[in-house]
Amino acid sequence: MIRMKTIWKSKEMSMFLILIIISLIITLKNPVFLSVENILDMLKSNVVLGIMAMGMLVVIISGGIDVSVGAMIAAITVIVGNFLVHISNNILLSFLVGGFAGIIMGGINGLLVSMLEIPPIVVTLGTMSIINGIMLYYTNGNWINDIPNNFINFGTKTPLGIPIQIYFFFGAAILTWFILKYTLFGRGVYAIGGNLLSAQRIGYNVKRIKLLVYTLMGFLTGIAAVVHTSIMKQVDPNAFTGFELQVIGAVVLGGANVAGGMGSVWGTIVGVLLMAVINNGLILMHIPTFWQRFIIGLIIVLAVSFDVIQRKRSEKQFVRVDVE
Amino acid sequence: MKKRSKELTLFIIFVCIFIILSILSPDRFLSIDNFQSMASQLPEFGIIAIGMMVVILTGGIDLSITSIAALSGISGAYFMTKSLELGISEPVSILVGVISIFVVAVICGLINGGIVAYIGVAPMLVTLGTMAVFEGISLNVTKGGAISGFPDAYSWFGNGSLMGIPVPMLLFIVVAIIGAIILERTPWGVSVYMLGNNPLATMYSGINIKKVQLRVYIFSALMAGISALIMTSRYNSAKVDYGSSYLLQSVAAVVLGGTDIAGGYGKVIGTVIAVAIIQCISSGFNLLGINRYLTDITMGVILLLVLAINFFSQRRHSFKLVSR
Repeated sequence: MIRMKTIWKSKEMSMFLILIIISLIITLKNPVFLSVENILDMLKSNVVLGIMAMGMLVVIISGGIDVSVGAMIAAITVIVGNFLVHISNNILLSFLVGGFAGIIMGGINGLLVSMLEIPPIVVTLGTMSIINGIMLYYTNGNWINDIPNNFINFGTKTPLGIPIQIYFFFGAAILTWFILKYTLFGRGVYAIGGNLLSAQRIGYNVKRIKLLVYTLMGFLTGIAAVVHTSIMKQVDPNAFTGFELQVIGAVVLGGANVAGGMGSVWGTIVGVLLMAVINNGLILMHIPTFWQRFIIGLIIVLAVSFDVIQRKRSEKQFVRVDVE
Repeated sequence: MKKRSKELTLFIIFVCIFIILSILSPDRFLSIDNFQSMASQLPEFGIIAIGMMVVILTGGIDLSITSIAALSGISGAYFMTKSLELGISEPVSILVGVISIFVVAVICGLINGGIVAYIGVAPMLVTLGTMAVFEGISLNVTKGGAISGFPDAYSWFGNGSLMGIPVPMLLFIVVAIIGAIILERTPWGVSVYMLGNNPLATMYSGINIKKVQLRVYIFSALMAGISALIMTSRYNSAKVDYGSSYLLQSVAAVVLGGTDIAGGYGKVIGTVIAVAIIQCISSGFNLLGINRYLTDITMGVILLLVLAINFFSQRRHSFKLVSR
């Protein structure tokens, strides 16, 4: 019974309720929303956001932040696109190249954060402008259109009737869930985000954990880049400006605490779904595009305010119990 | 031996860059034309950076600062052109425009500050949401286009000059001096630093931290308003994406200027020097015909380099203390 109560009061649950309410409203306005086709479509177009949100979740739990992910994914799509066009059209190799490029870029972030102890937001601001600069200098903003056919075919596959990209999202979610719950590294991520000094004293290797956190973020970004290329069938170096804020938004909507130490995979899934549903629903409800950003922003502000107010109220109740 | 201040290190870097650029391109970089063009480009960015700095001093961040600039600029433009259409004389219309810029900016600041201070939501989340909200409103007003057709006299704010000094530069100097005085000489300024150092201790020392926070966000919004005034006047139009590139750049400038991203330390003069460095590099590189993407790369490298130097010099300093 107590467990049931804590679940109901958790941040994730309140976000989940908001998700259900919004879905209901949209369905009442336009029943197409609940069709299998629409749901799969909606999921597919938010897979990239979802995969990267998993990496960002780990970063945010550790008490950090990574604003270079938009630049990273753009650069990796360019690398993978060029690899596919000029070197090899092997699909497995393209994932290896994407993942490896991500690990290198994320690793650089991780090294700077852990070794030089520069605040993560500053490090990633710096690497963001470096990666973006190199990528745009190299491509001049030109698109890559001649992606090989076998890769495009791969992107349109639907095993068990579900677009292949959605499997990657679930893969990333399960991987992140497993890492966070069952590995020493994962517990260390929560520990350093909750209280850095205590974690250090218990004996966690804080530097190594931080390095790994950003490397994992890079790796997932790399995979997301290949998945994105398989959806879009072309590479646009400018497709991801401002994307980092969407990724961060999805994670915090899902109940993760930007101060670190708190957050869950299932909450982040709810956050990503919330973003997806709002975006999709606004289109289905024929709301003019100009209002969409306004409504998304409003929902973020209301959701986080609501959450804080609720937490404060429950804290007050605790205090009263203590006094009595 | 006294430790060299961050600001002095920064100033030396500025002088070095200035000398290098002067040697590389003596006839163009050291020309009056170049100085005048730098002096008219720098202020809009510098004023936003000062607004961002005050928020960062309290340990917060204002991701909505550039969308406040866009929204207030657009409202100013909207009301100014509307009152012209109604047949109201030019000077009065300009006054209406300028007043509505600042009224809208203050309202935006009140919303941010109110939610941060009185509800207690993390600044990054609030401003992430309000950024989208303000942008959404701007998009609705302009429908994605630009508002133009201002009276000729309005362009004085952005293009005019007094005694050979461009008006924007004068505005920037006034803002910097007033900002420095407010921060370093008034009780409110001192409480801003205290709040950034230790909010709990500040509260127990009898300072109304909610009020301090609220005013911080109003201050940053006002800075966004001044910047909007300069931008709309300089481009003779108002558009959603004016100034949007200054968002992360201004955070970078503030940090480069020696402000602690966690709050509590930072000086206006540091931010001013950092802004000047960034302006020199981008103008200088432009004159030298260097690709503008290489400028981005250089900025990122300089940001990380300065922080690395700070880290190592601090460590050497603390080693000395220990060995003594």
